[in-house]
Amino acid sequence: MSSRTPNLRIALIGCGQIADAHLQEIRKIDCAELVAVCDVHQDLADQAAARFGVPRADSDLSAMLAEAKPDVVHVTTPAHTHCELATRLLVSGVHVYVEKPLTVDFSEAESLLETVTRTGKSLCLGHDQLFDPIWLRCRELVDAGVIGEVSHVESVLGYPLSGQFGRQVTGNPDHWVRRLPGGLFQNTISHPLYRITEYMQDTQPRVDAHWYAAGTATFPTEMVAHLRGKTVTGSLFFSTRIQPQRISRVYGPKGGLEVDFDAQTIRVIRQSRLPGAFGKIEMPWRHWREGASNLRHNLWRFLKSDIHYFAGMRTLFELYYRSILDGSSPPIAYDEMLRVTRVMDTMFRHCRVRTGAKRLAALSGASPRLSDRKANSQSEVDDLDEVISETEQVS
Amino acid sequence: MSVLVTGATGFLGRRLVRLLREDGVDVCCLVRPSSDVEPLRRTVGNDLWNGVDVRAAELSNEEACREAMTGCSVVYHVAAGLGGSTSTLFLSSVVPTRTVMRAAADANLQRFVLVSSLGVYGTSTMRAGDLLDEQSPIDPYPHLRDPYTYSKVMQERAAREVSKETGLPLVIVRPGVIIGPGRGVLSARVGLQLGPLMVRMGGTQTLPYTYVDNCASAIRQAGLADGVEGEVFNLIDDDLPTAKGLLRMCKCAGEKVTSVWVPRQLIQPMAGTYDWYHRWSRGQLPGVLTPYRTASIWKPLRYTNQKAKDRLRWQPDVSFDEAFRRSLNGVEADHLGNRGRI
Ligand SMILES: NC(=O)c1ccc[n+]([C@@H]2O[C@H](COP(=O)([O-])OP(=O)(O)OC[C@H]3O[C@@H](n4cnc5c(N)ncnc54)[C@H](OP(=O)(O)O)[C@@H]3O)[C@@H](O)[C@H]2O)c1
Ligand SMILES: NC(=O)c1ccc[n+]([C@@H]2O[C@H](COP(=O)([O-])OP(=O)(O)OC[C@H]3O[C@@H](n4cnc5c(N)ncnc54)[C@H](O)[C@@H]3O)[C@@H](O)[C@H]2O)c1
Repeated sequence: MSSRTPNLRIALIGCGQIADAHLQEIRKIDCAELVAVCDVHQDLADQAAARFGVPRADSDLSAMLAEAKPDVVHVTTPAHTHCELATRLLVSGVHVYVEKPLTVDFSEAESLLETVTRTGKSLCLGHDQLFDPIWLRCRELVDAGVIGEVSHVESVLGYPLSGQFGRQVTGNPDHWVRRLPGGLFQNTISHPLYRITEYMQDTQPRVDAHWYAAGTATFPTEMVAHLRGKTVTGSLFFSTRIQPQRISRVYGPKGGLEVDFDAQTIRVIRQSRLPGAFGKIEMPWRHWREGASNLRHNLWRFLKSDIHYFAGMRTLFELYYRSILDGSSPPIAYDEMLRVTRVMDTMFRHCRVRTGAKRLAALSGASPRLSDRKANSQSEVDDLDEVISETEQVS
Repeated sequence: MSVLVTGATGFLGRRLVRLLREDGVDVCCLVRPSSDVEPLRRTVGNDLWNGVDVRAAELSNEEACREAMTGCSVVYHVAAGLGGSTSTLFLSSVVPTRTVMRAAADANLQRFVLVSSLGVYGTSTMRAGDLLDEQSPIDPYPHLRDPYTYSKVMQERAAREVSKETGLPLVIVRPGVIIGPGRGVLSARVGLQLGPLMVRMGGTQTLPYTYVDNCASAIRQAGLADGVEGEVFNLIDDDLPTAKGLLRMCKCAGEKVTSVWVPRQLIQPMAGTYDWYHRWSRGQLPGVLTPYRTASIWKPLRYTNQKAKDRLRWQPDVSFDEAFRRSLNGVEADHLGNRGRI
């Protein structure tokens, strides 16, 4: 952006893990000026301010708003605080960027978007991986018709709990992540899910989801979900038992694209053109050439110093700030925010019902498989509501 | 006499509890609900376990802290985060220190012993060969250091603030790198561990190490010795090796260590170049090696433990040779491996 672009005054609330990425990326944007950070713990606000050269650190949001007078506030607090904080910020007259997940449920999301309409301020949601360079490249290939019309999207998220954050979540039953209606998944599945919903535009796809606790875990840690829209299906696999990974596969009639966010590579999935044994030679050859092409591409990006974990986040910030300055629509459509929140709600409800139905069957001495089958056969959301109300009545 | 120990399930904490019990002191261990108490029980042993009371609560729960402190006269605050992002470390070290201290002040405790770190000194402004003692200045720019050191500087600052506000008598101990069974002996003070390769940075620098049992006995004294309120103590052992000497000892002891050497004169230019690239590439490689950090950690300095010896009536009983042998042969598993912190 040119130096004549007016500066936007940016503040941030919630100086935890992801705040570092926000502050680091905001600092790279010419039209953005970081003016304040805020956290319930003054110590946390102070460290963020010191490390990222932010002039003001507060533990009182009202004081920050009054003194720093930001144009935009990034909300990087835990999910259960998003709705209340974002609403308060919009009402106070600032634009808001809120980290995913938007809110803890659909009704909160609706009320938040009503506030957006009422205040005339804009809202952006942190679906940043939609702007990751590798996803943008995948989109280009899809748009160029390489795989034909998209028919299925698969997302895999490997999220071992052995890291610092995972240990905190596992070790503390009161950790905010554990108290979310969708537990661990509410905090983590937005990214793999919106990579599916980008190509599945249905407002209410059919959902069949299941979660369970792996090993000695005392809360659900694994999730498998199947989504069915009018023309596109999706599958989501979340596991704490596989290595960290963020992979999506987008399929169409002419083939598929495997996008690896961590490796920043794309692989085309397509049948061999040669018959029988020749195909077994052609395929590894093709993989080898694809490998070489990915290597060249990433090497070139490295030389241009263009490999950044949070590149998608920066692009999204830039687009959002530009939309504020231009008065145009924000980069993530409000409908999209509602759609994803609704699908998440349905997934969690489905999982809870299935777990509940199992527990119910176990309690009544009936075969759990029976009740499982019931939930399975009624994969439609509406039908599922019956199961939910039944379960709720009994419990 | 009763005392309260936080971080009692840790590498240092469990030795401290054992030593206190050996002295006949009753110990209340305030652990997290998720803490594994078994290693503590093993270290203390069945005979002494009777005088140990284990309470589970988050340190952010001021009420629970206060309750656990009933009847205690001293708090040993050993708990701290040792790894992770800056915010994680602040949440596990700085913020709880305020809560625990406020609870201790409310409960009218006689003394609060804070386990800090020798890393808090502003060594980047000292000259090679200078003596580092308790008078040396604290790092004026701790946010430029690694996240752990930053959190320890700010933990101390928070402790001083609360002590001033509430009048709670504070004693600060600053251990060097703590070695012991399960932790190994090669730390960041020797150099950078890159996978299996140890990149030795310089080599003539003395390593400010302390053996875990020596360290625990000094900390015990910091809670029990008379008239040390308001004092600070550096805790390091006698006869410390240099980085080069330690690597040699490892090799002689049959340890497989693959190391390469970066001469001292090259460290700063190397860090400067890396830092320049980090900034030029807008963070394509993380900003972990900066001239400020390298000047803080690999500078040859002289160390003294005289004050601790005099005022705490303490002696590092385990010699360095013995500490080295025990650390190498120790079987105790530890999640930090050999990345000892300071
Ligand atoms: N190791 C060194 O080289 C070194 C050098 C200088 C100073 N120090 C200081 O010495 C102290 C002990 O270190 P260590 O080597 O014994 O570390 P450690 O083995 O990792 O033990 C840390 C202890 O603190 C507890 N803890 C951590 N975060 C906590 C939190 N948020 N709330 C409550 N408890 C928490 C742990 O409980 P869990 O069992 O539940 O995890 C554990 O008991 C620390 O203050 C450290 O900064 C260490
Ligand atoms: N885009 C991504 O890749 C990504 C990655 C991680 C987390 N996230 C999202 O970011 C959000 C925060 O996650 P995190 O991992 O950084 O959490 P965290 O627990 O590390 O940090 C949250 C911070 O908010 C502060 N806080 C809590 N309530 C507050 C309030 N009412 N007012 C002010 N400060 C408050 C806490 O003190 C803490 O410092 C979550 O919604 C999470 O899903 C996004």
